[in-house]
Amino acid sequence: MSADSFKDALIAEIPNLRAFAASLSGSVTLADDVVQDTLLRAWSNSDKFQEGTNLRAWLFTILRNTYYSHYRKRAREVQDTDGMYAGRLAVAGDQVSHLELADFRKALAKLPPEQREALTMIGATGLSYEEAAEICGVAIGTIKSRLNRARTKLAELLSAEGLEGTRWEARVSEARSDRSDER
Amino acid sequence: MSSDDGDEVKASRDLRDGRANAKVQETIGRSLKAHYNDLVHAPIPDKFLELLARLELKEQRTPAQESDDERR
Repeated sequence: MSADSFKDALIAEIPNLRAFAASLSGSVTLADDVVQDTLLRAWSNSDKFQEGTNLRAWLFTILRNTYYSHYRKRAREVQDTDGMYAGRLAVAGDQVSHLELADFRKALAKLPPEQREALTMIGATGLSYEEAAEICGVAIGTIKSRLNRARTKLAELLSAEGLEGTRWEARVSEARSDRSDER
Repeated sequence: MSSDDGDEVKASRDLRDGRANAKVQETIGRSLKAHYNDLVHAPIPDKFLELLARLELKEQRTPAQESDDERR
C-alpha cells in the first residue's frame, strides 16, 4: 500500500479508534492520547500490515496493546471523575435518551476491562468473534463467555439501585409486568 | 429452583424470564450502539490529520528513517 493510501486508510479509521479507546478508558481525553500513540505506532509499523486483511482489527490490536501497557493506570485515575465523556452527549442516538446513555456509560465503566472490550468489539464495532479473539489473543470461546458475563453484569447494574434516574428501572419493571400479563 | 414446580410450570417460567431478559438485553444492545455511535460521529480533531501529514512529509524526505523520532 502506498504511503498516501495507507494514510487515507488510517484517517478513515480514526473515528473508530477514538470510540474504541474511549470505551476502553472511559475518558475521551485519555482516548485521544491513546489514539495519537496508536497512529504513530501504526505508521512506523506499516510494513507489517498485510494488505487485504482487516485494517481495523490490526489497528485495534495496536491500540489495545498501547492502552494496556501505557494508559491503564491513568484510566483508573480519571474514570471515577464526572468528566468522563463530558460534553460528548451532543449527538446521542435518536432512540436512546441522554439520561439512559449516561446511566449506560456509568454501568459500562464498572465492567472489568476484558468484558468491556469484548462487549464493545462484538456489540458495536462490527468486528467478528474471530477478529475480537485474535485482537485479544484469546480463544473465541473466551470472547463469548466474556460477552455473556458483560451482558449479565450490565443487566444487573442497570436494574439495581444506586444509578441516578429511573428509566432503566422503569424499563426493567416494564419487562417484568409483561411477564405478569402473560400469567 | 423449587422442587415443587412441575416441569411445565418451570418451562413457562423460564420462557417468561427469557422474554424479560431478551428485552433488557435488547435495550443494552441499543444503548451500546448509541454510546459507540455518539463517539464515532465526533469530528476528527485537526491534530490527528496534522500528525499524519507530518509523518508522510517526513517519510517523503527521509524514506529510510521514519521511526520513533516523532514520539519525542
